[in-house]
Amino acid sequence: MVEEKRILYEHLDVPDINTFDVFRQYDGYKGFEKAIAEYQPEEIAKMVLDSGLKGRGGAGFSTGEKWSFVPRDIEPRYLCCNADESEPGTFSNRYVLEKNPHLLIEGILICCYAMGIETTYVYIRGEFTLGKKMLDAAIKEAYEQGYLGEDIRGTGLNVNIYTHPGAGAYICGEETGLIESLEGKRGQPRNKPPFPAVEGVFRKPTVVQNVETLCNLPFIVSNGVEWYTQMGPTYADTRFDPPKPDANTGTKLYCISGDVNEPGVYELELGLTCTELIEVAGGLRGEEVKAVIPGGSSAPILTHYELDTRLDFTSLTLAKSMLGSGGIIVMNETRNIVDCLLNIMKFYAHESCGQCTPCRWGTPWVRDIVQRIADGNGRQSTITRPKFGIAENGRWGDTGETEEIYEDLDLLESVANNIANVDTMTWNTICVFGIAVSWPAVSYMRKFRPEFEAAIRESKLVTLPVAEATVPPEENYAYQQRFVPKEFADL
Amino acid sequence: MAFVKLNDLEIEVEDGTNVVEAARQHGIEVPHYCYHPGLSRPANCRMCLVEPHEFFPPAGAIVPARQLATGCTTVLRTAPPERKLDGKYDSIVYTDSPRVKKAREDILEFLLVHHPLDCPVCDQAGECDLQDYSYRHGHDKSRYLEVKNVPPKKDLGPDVLLYSTRCVVCTRCIRFAEEVSGTGELGLINRGSHDEIDIPRSHEGVPLQVLDNKLAGNVVDICPVGALISKDFLFKSRPWFMEKADSVCSGCSVGCNITVEYKADGVYRLKPRFHEDINQHWMCDDGRLGYHYVNSDDRLQLPLKRVDDELSPTHWADAIATITEKLSEVEAEDIVVIGSAQGTNEDNYVLQQFAHDVLKTTQLGLFGQSPGEEHKFPQFTIEADKNPNTAGARTILGSANGNVVLEGDALWEKVSNAKVVYLVSGASERTLEDAEKAALESVDFLIVQDVLPSEVTQVADIVLPGTTFAEKDGTFTNSTGWVQRIRKTIDPPGEARIDWEITQQLAKQLGGEMNYHFAGEIALAIAENVPGYADATHQKIGDAGIKLT
Ligand SMILES: Cc1cc2nc3c(=O)[nH]c(=O)nc-3n(C[C@H](O)[C@H](O)[C@H](O)COP(=O)(O)O)c2cc1C
Ligand code: SF4
Ligand code: SF4
Ligand code: SF4
Ligand code: FES
Repeated sequence: MVEEKRILYEHLDVPDINTFDVFRQYDGYKGFEKAIAEYQPEEIAKMVLDSGLKGRGGAGFSTGEKWSFVPRDIEPRYLCCNADESEPGTFSNRYVLEKNPHLLIEGILICCYAMGIETTYVYIRGEFTLGKKMLDAAIKEAYEQGYLGEDIRGTGLNVNIYTHPGAGAYICGEETGLIESLEGKRGQPRNKPPFPAVEGVFRKPTVVQNVETLCNLPFIVSNGVEWYTQMGPTYADTRFDPPKPDANTGTKLYCISGDVNEPGVYELELGLTCTELIEVAGGLRGEEVKAVIPGGSSAPILTHYELDTRLDFTSLTLAKSMLGSGGIIVMNETRNIVDCLLNIMKFYAHESCGQCTPCRWGTPWVRDIVQRIADGNGRQSTITRPKFGIAENGRWGDTGETEEIYEDLDLLESVANNIANVDTMTWNTICVFGIAVSWPAVSYMRKFRPEFEAAIRESKLVTLPVAEATVPPEENYAYQQRFVPKEFADL
Repeated sequence: MAFVKLNDLEIEVEDGTNVVEAARQHGIEVPHYCYHPGLSRPANCRMCLVEPHEFFPPAGAIVPARQLATGCTTVLRTAPPERKLDGKYDSIVYTDSPRVKKAREDILEFLLVHHPLDCPVCDQAGECDLQDYSYRHGHDKSRYLEVKNVPPKKDLGPDVLLYSTRCVVCTRCIRFAEEVSGTGELGLINRGSHDEIDIPRSHEGVPLQVLDNKLAGNVVDICPVGALISKDFLFKSRPWFMEKADSVCSGCSVGCNITVEYKADGVYRLKPRFHEDINQHWMCDDGRLGYHYVNSDDRLQLPLKRVDDELSPTHWADAIATITEKLSEVEAEDIVVIGSAQGTNEDNYVLQQFAHDVLKTTQLGLFGQSPGEEHKFPQFTIEADKNPNTAGARTILGSANGNVVLEGDALWEKVSNAKVVYLVSGASERTLEDAEKAALESVDFLIVQDVLPSEVTQVADIVLPGTTFAEKDGTFTNSTGWVQRIRKTIDPPGEARIDWEITQQLAKQLGGEMNYHFAGEIALAIAENVPGYADATHQKIGDAGIKLT
C-alpha cells in the first residue's frame, strides 16, 4: 500500500497553522532564514535548477530554467503568483491559501531573494474569498513580524506582496491573461514571444509561478537538493547524446475526485501509477474504472488500458496526455463519455476569451456538435476517409486503407483539430487554451468512439459496458505515443 | 535590406518589414483582418498565417517551422552571416504552401460560422475582405449546422451604425479609438463567441458615451467587413457603381489625400487615401462629410445680376458684358481683385495674371473660409485654417512683380475705398462679419464668383457661378508645403463654369492675351514663373504630391 508523503501539506491540519506563531513553531520561515543566511541569490537559483522542480500550474516547465531567462539587468522585476486555480478537478492551491498561507509567503520570499524581486502580486481566483482573507491576514502578520516590507530582518531585502482577486475567468489563469487582467485590462492572453520572463507585468521581466511550485521552495532550501531529487523518478532522455536527465522530482498535490471512495488532495511522490493513486484515495467507487482524467479537464483522457501509466510529467507526456494541474478525475462504468465531453466542452465554450478566431468560434461549435449528439440528433450519415494506423514504414500514418465514420464524428474531430491539431501538436491560436479544447474532444472521441457511435445510432445517450466502450490501444491513433518509450530509460 | 525567399521569389525588403507588407510589395496577397498598418498588431484574427522556415535549424538544413506564424507579426530582418539559410537567405517564407492554404480555409470557415451572409443587403458587399478572401481562399460550402448567434444592431453615434452580426472581432475599431483618436469610446463586451463591440452603457443599456469624435468615420473605413457602417452612405450605392478619383480634401489646410467616389449625379462619399507625411490612413469627419454642398440643389447654376435691388438670373454673355463695361470705366487703382484660398493654384494664377497684366492693378486680396478650431488627437491634427490652399493662393497671387496680397483688416480697408471689386469666394456658407459686410456694401460694383448663395453673394451686384473641388482639375498647396492634385469628377451644375475659365474669359474680353486650355497648362506657367514651384507640374506631382523646398 502506497503511503502519502506529506511535505507541503505536512502541517496543514495543525490548528492555527495559519497564524504566524504556530507556523513558526513548526519551523516556519526557517527555509527563508537559511536562504538569506547561507546562500547567495544565485546559489538559490542554482539549487532550484538542480532540484529539477517543474512548474505545478500546468505546463510543467522547469522552474530553474524559467528563472534563468529573466534578464537581471532590467529593473524592476516582478513575481506573479498564480493562485487562479480554476482548472476543473483541481483544488490543491486552495488548501494552501486557506490553511497554511504563511508557507506561500515563505516560498515567495525565497523566490524574491533568489531573483532580486521586490514586488509580488498574488492573483487569487475571485471565488476564493476565504483563501484571500486568510492570505491577507497572514501577509499582515508577516509585515508586523518583519518578514515583509522594507529591510527584512536587517538584511536590506525589501519585499512587498499585493493580493489581487480575479473576476471569475478561467483564462486569467493563463500567465499572460493573468498579467493583462492584473494590469487592469481585459483578461486576454498575449502573443508569445515575448514571454513573461522577459516582458511580463507592466512590460517588465516577470516570474509567474503557481502556488504549489512556490511552496516547494522552502523545503528545497531547508533540506537540500539531494534530499529533494531522491523523490520521484528521473528518466534519461536518450534522444540526446549524452542522455539528458529528465527530472520528475518531488511530490505532487494530486486532487483526486470522481468515483473514488475518499476524494480529496493527496500529496504523493511523483511517479505513482493510476491504479496506485486510486488505491490511495480509498479505492474505486463502483465496479470498474472506465476512464481517468489525469491532469485537469484539459488533459487527454486515459482508458482502463492505461491505468499503469505513471502520473508524472514525462510518463504522461509519453502517453499523449499531461500531468497538467494534477486534477485527477476517476470515472467508473456508469459514466457516459459523451456526456462527460459535453460537460467539459460547455465549460470551455463558456471560458474562451474570444480573442482569436479559431477558439472563439470553434469551441462553441465543438460544444454544439457534442450537444447535438448527446441530444440524439447526431447525423446517421457516414463518410469514408483514409484510415490512420501503422503504415508500411512502421510508423503511424496513412495506412492506404479507408474507414467509415459517422459524419458528425468526423466533423467533431476536424473542427477540434482546426482549433489546435492534437496529432501534429500545432495550433493556430494565440494561447494553448485551444489545445486544451481539442485534446479532450479528440481523445474522448477516439478512445471511446463506440459510445459516440451508439449515441448517434440510437439517437440517445447509451452507456456501454467498459470493454465495449473502449477502443483498444492497438487500434487507435489516439494512444500512439509521440516518442517511442524505449528511448527513455530509468536512470 | 533583408534578402528573403518568398515562395518562388527572391526579394529584398527593408529590415523590419512584416511578411504581409513584404508580400504586398511583390503583388502577393496575404489575407488579413486585424492587421492594419496604422494600428498596433494584436495578431488575433489568425488569417495571415504563413509558413516560415525554422529559425534555429539543425546545421545546414532548411526545415519548415513546426508552427505556422502570423505574417502580420513576423518581421523580416538581416541575419548574421552564420545564420544565413542556404548560404544566402535571411529568411524563407511560404505564403502558398499546402499547410498555409489549409489554415486559411479553416480560419475562414470559423469566421463564417456565425456570419449572416447577408451580402445582398450589406453595404460592404463588393469591397468586403470577408467576401474577397472567402472567394479566393475559402471553402465552397459550410459545415455548420448549429444555430447562429444574432447579436443586436447598434447605433454607436451620429454617423456610425454597427451590424454586430457581421463583425469578425478584429478589434481594429477599438484600437483606432484608443491609439489614433485617443477617445476610447469602443470596447468589447461579453466573452468568447458572444464578444460584441459596444460603447459604454449603463446596466439598462443607456449609452454613457457615444462614438462622437471628429475622426469617428475612419472606423467605418478600417472595418474589414460590413459591421461598421456610415449612416451617411448607408444604402446609397453599391461600391462598384461608383467612379473613383484621387483628390485632396478641401476641408482644411492639412490637405488629406482622398478618393472621391461619384456617379454622374453627384459625389457619394469621400474616403481617405494613404499619404505617409500628411494624413497617413485617416481623414476627419468634417472633411469626410463636408462634400454635401457639392450636391446641393441650391448650387448657383446661372449668373445672377442685381436688377431693381434683386439678384435675378441672366445669361453669361450679359454677365460678362456688364462686368467688362464696369471694369473699363474705372481706374486701375480703384479695382481690387480678391482670390480664394478655396480655389486651386491654377485659379489663382489666372486671376493674378488677369489683375496684373490686363487690369494693371497690383491690389490683390485673399479670401476664404473663416478660421475654425484646431483639434489635436494623438495621431492626427485638424487644422484651424478651413481652406485647403491658403499657402498656395497667397504665394501665387503675390507672385507677379509688385503684387500686394492683402488679408484681414487691411484688405477690408482697401475694399471700402474701391469702386469695383472682383471677389472669388467658393467658401460655402461663408458668413460676413460686420466690418467685412460694411466694406463690401460700400463697393460700387461688386462681382462675386461663388458656388452657393451666401451672405457674400447677397451683397454682390453680379454673381458668377463657379465650381467646387469636385468639379475641376488643379493643385492645392497645404500648410506644410505639399503641392497636391485634385481631379475633376462630376460636371459643374447648370451653367456653372470652372473658375479660371471665367476669369480667362473676362481677360479675353478686355483684350488680355490668355489662352489656357486645361489646368495642367496653367501649372506649367506656374512652374515657370512662381518661385519654388519649378517642380509643381501636374506630371511631376502625380499621385504622391511634391513638397516645396
Ligand atoms: C488555459 C490555461 C489556464 C491555466 N490556468 C492556470 C491556473 O489556474 N493556475 C496555474 O497555476 N496555472 C495555470 N495555467 C498555467 C500558467 O499559464 C503558467 O504556466 C503557470 O502559472 C506557470 O507556473 P508554474 O511554472 O509554477 O506552473 C494555465 C494555462 C492555460 C493555458
Ligand atoms: S486560444 Fe482561446 S483563450 Fe486563448 S487567446 Fe485565443 S480565444 Fe483566447
Ligand atoms: S460583411 Fe461582407 S460577407 Fe458579410 S454580408 Fe457584408 S459583404 Fe457579405
Ligand atoms: S466592428 Fe469591424 S473593425 Fe470593429 S471589430 Fe468588428 S469587424 Fe473589426
Ligand atoms: S492579420 Fe495577422 S493575425 Fe490578424
